[in-house]
Amino acid sequence: MNELKPAANGYQSRTRTNVKRLFYWNGVWGAATALMALGPKFLWNKAMGFTLLSIALDIAVGIGMILANKKYIAELDELQRKVQLNSMGVTLGVALIAGVPLSVMDAYHVIPFHADIAYLLIVMSITFALSNLYGTQRYR
Amino acid sequence: MKNRLKLLRAERNWTQAQLADALDVSRQTVNAIETGKFDPSLPLAFRVARLFALPIEEIFHDEDRRGSATNMKTGSCIDSR
Repeated sequence: MNELKPAANGYQSRTRTNVKRLFYWNGVWGAATALMALGPKFLWNKAMGFTLLSIALDIAVGIGMILANKKYIAELDELQRKVQLNSMGVTLGVALIAGVPLSVMDAYHVIPFHADIAYLLIVMSITFALSNLYGTQRYR
Repeated sequence: MKNRLKLLRAERNWTQAQLADALDVSRQTVNAIETGKFDPSLPLAFRVARLFALPIEEIFHDEDRRGSATNMKTGSCIDSR
């Protein structure tokens, strides 16, 4: 069998490292967001200074997460990048299509609950996961 | 676009995973190219050609070559400015 030289710092290990980094930043951002949302009520009794600090921390960690996501996508190969791009496009479209009517329905009391941003985040997460799964299966 | 990637790989007894490692892409990408589900970019096609030490046109060829030739003849793909 002819020997093949794998590229230095192979694609698989690079992607694995980037996925780990992405999970780490997502976890830290989730924790920072929880601290920002729950801290004022349960930890520092709505003290303004701590609340502003937790908001600043959440934004800083959010920037870290964006950079980790950017690096992850930049180092994917062209097919994986295409799958990600399609998923992001579908997610953006669904967020607009679901978000605007949800907000209108809330404003005119068509729905019996408050249209919380969390609902939109859940819809976006599910849409992204499903379209990513579809894209991965499609090219399998 | 059609290609002879699977055939060339089989001739050399390389696995998809080995080829993917050498091209610095995922195994899924190699499989998608082989099955014609995904057309590689020009830089990746050149990497494949370099790896097999073959001219690019001996690995990849236009599926619609006849159609393209007809279009060229009628001038439909030439900018008319």
